[in-house]
Formats: sequence, C-alpha cells, structure tokens
Amino acid sequence: MQASRRKVSRRRALQAGLSAGAAFAVPTIIPSSALGLDGAVAPSERIIVGGIGIGRRGEYDLGCFLEQPDVIFTAIADVKQGRREAVKKIADTKYGTQNCTMHRDFREVLDRKDIDAVLIATGPNWHGLLAMLAAKAGKDIYCEKPCTKNIAETLIHRDTMRRCGTVFQAGTQRRNLPHYAFACELARTGRLGKIKKVFAHPRGMTALLSGWLPEAPLPDPKVDDWDMYLGPAAWRPFNADTLKDGFNFEKGGGFIGGGVPKGGGVLEWGSHCVDLCQWAVNDGPPPVEYHPPQGDQIVCRYADGAELIFREKDWIPLGSCPVRFEGETGWVEAGDSGKLVLSSPELLAGRKIEEIGGYPATFHVRDFLDCVKTRGKPKGNADAACNAHIACHAANIAIYLGRTVKFDNATNMFVGDDEANRLRSEALREPWRL
Amino acid sequence: MEWNRLAAIGCLGAWLGLVASGAAAAPLPTEADLLAVVRSDAAEADKAIACKNLAVKGSAAAVGDLAKLLGNERLASWARIPLEAIPGPEASAALRQAAGSLSGRPLVGVINSIGVRRDKDATEMLAGRLGDADAEVAAAAAAALGKIGTPAAAAVLSKNLAAAGPRLDDVAQGGIVCAERLLAEGNAAAAATLYDTVRTAKVSEQRVAEATRGLILARGKDGIPLLVETLRSPSRRLANIGLFTARELLDGPRSGDVDMALAAEATRLAGTAGGERAALVVNVLADRNADGGASPDLRALVLTWAGSGPQAVRLAALQAAGRIGDASAVEPLLTLATDAAVTDAARAALVALPGDSVDRVVLARMSGASPALMPILLKVVGERRIPAVAQLKPLLAGSDGSVRLATLEALGNVVDLANLGLLVDAVQKPRDAAEGEAAEKALLAACVRMPDREACAARLATAVDAASGDTKIKLLDIVGEVGGTKALATVAAAAKAGNEPLADAATRLLGKWMTADAAPVLLDLAAAPIGEKFQTRAFRGYIRIARQFALPDAERAEMCRKALAAAKEESDRKTILEILPRYPSAATLAVAEEAMKLPALEAEAKAAAEAIRAKLPK
Repeated sequence: MQASRRKVSRRRALQAGLSAGAAFAVPTIIPSSALGLDGAVAPSERIIVGGIGIGRRGEYDLGCFLEQPDVIFTAIADVKQGRREAVKKIADTKYGTQNCTMHRDFREVLDRKDIDAVLIATGPNWHGLLAMLAAKAGKDIYCEKPCTKNIAETLIHRDTMRRCGTVFQAGTQRRNLPHYAFACELARTGRLGKIKKVFAHPRGMTALLSGWLPEAPLPDPKVDDWDMYLGPAAWRPFNADTLKDGFNFEKGGGFIGGGVPKGGGVLEWGSHCVDLCQWAVNDGPPPVEYHPPQGDQIVCRYADGAELIFREKDWIPLGSCPVRFEGETGWVEAGDSGKLVLSSPELLAGRKIEEIGGYPATFHVRDFLDCVKTRGKPKGNADAACNAHIACHAANIAIYLGRTVKFDNATNMFVGDDEANRLRSEALREPWRL
Repeated sequence: MEWNRLAAIGCLGAWLGLVASGAAAAPLPTEADLLAVVRSDAAEADKAIACKNLAVKGSAAAVGDLAKLLGNERLASWARIPLEAIPGPEASAALRQAAGSLSGRPLVGVINSIGVRRDKDATEMLAGRLGDADAEVAAAAAAALGKIGTPAAAAVLSKNLAAAGPRLDDVAQGGIVCAERLLAEGNAAAAATLYDTVRTAKVSEQRVAEATRGLILARGKDGIPLLVETLRSPSRRLANIGLFTARELLDGPRSGDVDMALAAEATRLAGTAGGERAALVVNVLADRNADGGASPDLRALVLTWAGSGPQAVRLAALQAAGRIGDASAVEPLLTLATDAAVTDAARAALVALPGDSVDRVVLARMSGASPALMPILLKVVGERRIPAVAQLKPLLAGSDGSVRLATLEALGNVVDLANLGLLVDAVQKPRDAAEGEAAEKALLAACVRMPDREACAARLATAVDAASGDTKIKLLDIVGEVGGTKALATVAAAAKAGNEPLADAATRLLGKWMTADAAPVLLDLAAAPIGEKFQTRAFRGYIRIARQFALPDAERAEMCRKALAAAKEESDRKTILEILPRYPSAATLAVAEEAMKLPALEAEAKAAAEAIRAKLPK
C-alpha cells in the first residue's frame, strides 16, 4: 500500500509543521447507513469499483479507495501490462485474494454489470471520453483532472453526466479540504464584501505541442497497446518516450495549453486553482473576457466585473496551488500547506479551521462514495468542473491567439471571433467520438 | 516533447519555435503557407501540424487538399481537425462525398465529423448507414443523426427504434441526444415523443433511464407522475435516475408542486420497511430547497418526519431541517434533542439552522429552560459560536453541576480574550475534579483559537505567575499549546525558576516545541544550572530541531557545530554527526571535516563527510 504510506507520511509531516495547538482531526464522514451493526459493511452497501489507467497518480487515488470499508476494488484496465499487473497485486494483497481481473480494453470493465463505479486516472488524453463512455455504461465516476481537452468536450461532458444520471467527481480534491473550503465560504457568503478579484496560480502559461517523436517498431499490443494509448488523440508513430509521458500527453488538447517544458500550463494547475476560484464565486458561469498574458499575469473578467487573475508570482508562501480571494472588505489566501492567511482574524469568527496539508484525496473519495449512495452531488461535480475547465480553455485560447477573447456564457461561443470559435473543439481520432 | 524536425522548416518552424519560447503573440502561418506543406512531399509530421493550424486559418480553399487525406490512415485524424472547423458548405460536402467511398475506420471518422458539423444534408445518407454491415459504421451513423437533431433525424431514429434491429442501443443513444436537441430548440412535444419511443423500445436499462429522465424534464410539471413512478421502480438504476431527475426538475413559479409530490412520496415510502428510499427522497428535498426557498408546509412536514417513523427517515429529516429550516424549527428540534434516539442529529440540526434569528431564539430559550434542556442549549450556543458570554457567565455560579460543565464547554467555544479570565479562574479554583478537567479543556480550546496568540500567551503568563503547584503546570501546558514568542519566553523562564516540577514540565514542553526559535533557548538551558536531567533533555531537544526541522543549510550546520562543542556524551556527538549526511551541503560538509580532527570522532566524521560528498552535485 505505497499510496497510503505516502499519505500517512504527509500527515505526519503536517503535524510536525503545525503551529502549536492546531488540532489535526479526521472528520467522521462515513454515514452510519453504510455500516452494519458490527462495523462491517453490509454486502448491499458495498460499492464495487474498477480502475482504468492507474499510473503513479492513480495508484495514490486507489490507495484512498482501498482505505474505505465499503469499497471493493475488483478490476483494472490499462493499456500497459506492467500497470495491470502492479494494480492487481495491490488489490489482491489488500483483500488476500486473486479476484482483481485484468483487462487491456477498458470496455470489458464498463460492460461488467457488477461494477458500480470506476476510477479513471489515465493520462488526460482519455479523461473526457472515458468518463463519457463510463457514464453511458451506467457507472459512477471518479476521474482525475484535467477532465477535458477543449470547450466543446467540456460541455458535452457535463451534458452526458446529467443525461446519464451519473455521480461524477473530478479529481479536484482540494474542495474537500477544510481550509480551502473555508476560504471559499468566506468569499461566497459575503464575509469579504463584494468579491473584486480571485487569483489562481497557473504554473506555466505557454503553449506547447504534444510531440511527434521518431517512429519506432510497434510493441506487442499485449504489453503496450499503442493504438489504445493514442485513443482519441490524432495519430502519431509509436515512440517509447511518448508512451512514458501519459501524464501530460495531449494535456490541454495538445495544441493550445501546455507549459514549458512539460505541458499542462493553464489547464494543468488551473483545473485545481481556477476550480477553487470558481467555487469562491459560487460556481457561477466562467469569466466572459480573457486577456492575453501581460508579464506574469492573465486577467479575465466575470460578467459582474470581478476579475479572475492567473498569477505566477507574489504569493504568500503557503505551499503549492495557492489561491487568493479579494473582496471590498477583506481577503484570504490559502495553499497546500493547509494554512490560511486572512486580512483580519475577525474573519475566523471564533472558528478553528483544521489544517490538513499535503492535499490528500481521502476526503474527496469519501465524498464521492457517499454521493454514490445518496445520488447527491459531490463537491467536484461535473457542473462545477465544467465552469472551471471552460475558464482554463478560454484562457488558453487567449494565450494562443495572443489577443483578448470574449465568451458568451449563454451560447457558449466566443463573441465575433471565428478563430477562437474554431478552437472550441477538435476532431477525435477514429473510431472515437463524443 | 517538441516537434523538432518542424523547427527546421520555413515560417511554420519559426512559429513553432516562438511558441515554445513563450512568445504567445507570434502570428500564425497563413493558409497558403500551410497548404503548401499539405500539398508538398513533406514528412507526415509536417503535414499533420499544418492540418492542425488549418483548423484556425483554413477556408473553403483548403477543403479539397484536406479531403484527399481522409483515406490516409495516419493523417485522416489530422485532416478531420480542420474539416470539422472550417465553416461553409464545402467541408460538409467533402465529408459527405468521402463517406460514399470510404469504409472501416476512415468512414467511421468521416461520419463522426459529419455529426459534429450537424450536416442536415447528410440525413438520408446516414439513415442508409444505420443498416451498415459494419456495426461501428452503423453506430456512428446513429450518433451523427442524434447530433444533427432535426425532426427529420428524429423520424429516422424513431423508425429504426421500432424496427427492433441489431445494436438498438446505439440508435437509442442517438435518439436521446436528438431529443435533447429538439428540447433545447423549443420543440418539447417532439422531444417527448422521441424520449418515449426510446424508453419503450427493447434497449438497455441505462438507455431507458436516460430516456425517462428526458421525458420527465420535457414534460415539465406534467412529468411529475412519471417521476413518482420512477422513484417507485424496483430497479435501482431507474429509482436512482428518479432521484437525480428530482433534483433537476424545477417547480413552476412558487407552485411547489414538485416538492409536494416528492413530499407525498417520502411520506408513503416512510411507511415501507427501513425507510431508506424515503430518506433519499428527503435528501432530495433538502437539496432542492437549500437556497432558503422551502415552503412552510414543507418545513412542517420535515419536522413531522423527524418526529417519528423509521430511524433512517428521522435522521434524514433532521439533517434536512438543519438545512432548510428557520427559527420556527428551534422549539421542535429542542424537543427532539431530548429524544435519546435522535439527540445528536437534532442538536446538529440546531447548530446548522441558518440565520441570526435562530441565535436570538436559542438565547431567549435559555431563560427558564429545564435542567434537562439547558445542557443541550449550551452545547448549541457553543457550537453555533453565539457570542453570549454575558448570558453564560452567571451559569458558572449555579448549583447544577451538569450546567456548569456545559457552560465551561460553551465558553471554550465563544469566550473572547477580554473574558479569558473566566476560564483561567475556573482552572485555578475548580469546585471538583470533573469541573477542573472541563475548565482545562475549555481554556485550551479557547486559547488555541484566539486570533492574537501573543496577547493570549501574555494573559496566560500572568496566570502562570500567580498560580502554584499543579495548576501552574497545567497552565504552563496550555501556554505551550498556544506557542509563539511570548509563550516560548514564558516556558523558558519556568525552566529556570528553580522549581523542579516546573522545570520538568517546561523542558518537556520545549523538547517538543514546534518552531525552530526554541533552539537557542534549549542550548542555553543545556548549560544552565537546572539539573543534569533537564540539561540533557534540553540538549536533546536542541538536537531534535537540527535533525527534524526545515532550516537553511548554514543555520543547520552552525547548530550542529555548536552541538558538537556543547555535547557531553559520546553518543550525543555521534547522533549529531548522523544528522549531517541527511542534509548534504557545503556547510554540513565543513562541519564533518572539522569533526574529523577530533580523534574520538574521526571515523564517524569521515564517514559522514564521505556520505555528504557522494550526495553533493559533482
């Protein structure tokens, strides 16, 4: 259980770094209905989970699932034989069985009637399409971010989750961490006054293509299935280095977005930071105006005049993924250390906010599983993810075109900008479609 | 990853180089430049990226050259990127034409692109493809018809759904998307008809669920009976889509019809065994009204469900009451809070109830509250963080022990710095052991949430000075929990006060201090006349900081240097040397090399130096 060990280690590190007296408590969030009288989970309350594309990040997520008493992880689909075998070993070791089945083709997992939910942690190239196929197969979904590659895919993704009645949780786990939640609550509930600016850390703003490396002989598809790895991405020849870069492959659509030197840029980090900014403005529609970068900033404007600002520098050192919300009467800044800085201690109003550093996904996974049972909306639901992703994609288009673009949230089109509108979507490689 | 080879050619390569370097405003190549690459014998990679850029720059003039690539298994996916994006009839016509000559995957791709373009003129061709021998082609055609979403496309899909042919689920998927299009364009009647056709066809349960949701939404308020029927379905999938749809279906203006229908269903389901499904419906009602729009009737019903019935329903109703209730719910919830079966849930609801008016009602209710109710009210006051110190203070002098304990707990949550003395006094002069323990917990809870911890520590320091015996140590422990500069100074002074129990407590606290500013204090104590036992403890606390804390390289090295000089025991010196390789730097290397000059440490210091050198960049 490597993933779990990592998480425990982070918690210990957190405790060592806490200011004295700051309590560390894990919320009791497993509903009693999920547990049998003796604490064991009744079979009818178990959630059967399959995994699709479980690499390094996915293995961490998987650890969070395996910790939950009401989860049975039962199948792994991966285009890489090595990953299939590694994940099967993790699951089988956990349960002391040999029951975890291995599949090269994810459709075999989606076809299984006994599987309730899937954990999708492929590279970003597959996230959107796979989630939609899983939803159509009737599965609930926990999917790593970024969830989509462009604006059109984002909208279809949201509509598909609605259409299929899917409980969808984007891997935006910071929504289930108390200090970020509190910061967003301060903004949402007017405690900072009317919100004027929300700041996100993009960690890279430049565009980068996804690569076409020299052609090498195709591997045995039973070992590394290159055709399935490419999936919806436009064709390119096999090269082992491309296969290794699944984490970034086609991130941001491969054409727009991506950072230097390893891709991602606005979308990679924005799908976390902008997501939190969107939460701070009540998960409303994304900004309507996006300016190209000036210095280390991209300024975007919401319909009410508030600004979403992607900013590389000038953060209070609170760890990675910082966000800052500024209202007319106060401000708050938070980061991955689990700490908050407030314009005034009065904003705490006597509350003690738990400091949980290291951005663990445990609580986010639990939120997802609870919603699978209640059919409620998890914190990182598809509607919320949709707005945050559109903001990131639109900012990437402003970067790419090098000019201001205006977005109409009613039509989901750019206003009077044919080139920007052409970048709203991109053809998928055959036979895949949205 | 870079398209290295492209960087070597013409203006396209120059543009790529600019993008990679971050010059985002670099102009895109012209259509003519890009077409020249597509038409040339350039490498596939060059043609691919030219296609991609034509998605932005391409026009009708590019369509012919792009269409020639549609049968190319390597470049077809690249060519379809601009062919989906270029406006005008030419691209649509080229795709239709290609569909007539291609097969297999390339044909599937072309049909997919036709769907993205919503090419109405392709309806007839796609209708024909629904019966294609290649199942992938047939499925693509159904999906494309769905995206086209016209009445004509709906007619084709409906006809095929009725025919009960193979791969009916693919046709149903197209039908559902088509109905969505019709509904979005205001044709609710046609959408409803198509949804109904899908849900009565021989398709998978998932498609039936999707069509049922669509039909309910298309019917609006008239969809309520179907919603209720769906909630009652023995199929978990259908019942689940009912719950999902119930959250989406909006009421008419202030009609509340949907809420009332759901409420009636919750009441009916509450009578079934266990009531689990009723609880889920109650959750839906809470979600639907979480913005404060619940009607008085619904609020009353929620409290009724909370009052009796299956436990699952009662708990769900109490949670709902906390979310959608108002001040009028305080009294019923207080009554329920005395019911052992739901005490915690009722109290949680009281804590969650929105609105300042709730605070006023809770405080008013304290006057004359029964002995059984008062502890509950005090818990609510504390957990709602109602700043009611003035009302709480007299209760500390009351005769009821349980009320005094609850008051202390509440004060821990609400007391401000100016009134911290109430809890300090309670720690210093408890009536009994239980009250003393409660006072310590409350004081700790209050102190660690004080926004100005320096002022808090100063207030506590005064109390430490004035206290004696065990109380002094208890207060010192709380000072340690508060932390900060003043707290550190207070604990350090306690260590040197010449009082052995106090020195014991102080060195214990300093030994686990959470910030590195304790280091000089600990080093000083290690040489101070506080007794050998405490000197050793202080010294090891100093080593702990050097070993565990995040420090600048030079600072850590200097700490180790000082520690080596101050260490009295050989084992401590070896422990210090073990720290150095954990933080390899020039500074720690220098300390190790200095230690090599000490004969007793030469071997260990040499090993440490070698380990550091191995880790340092060459």
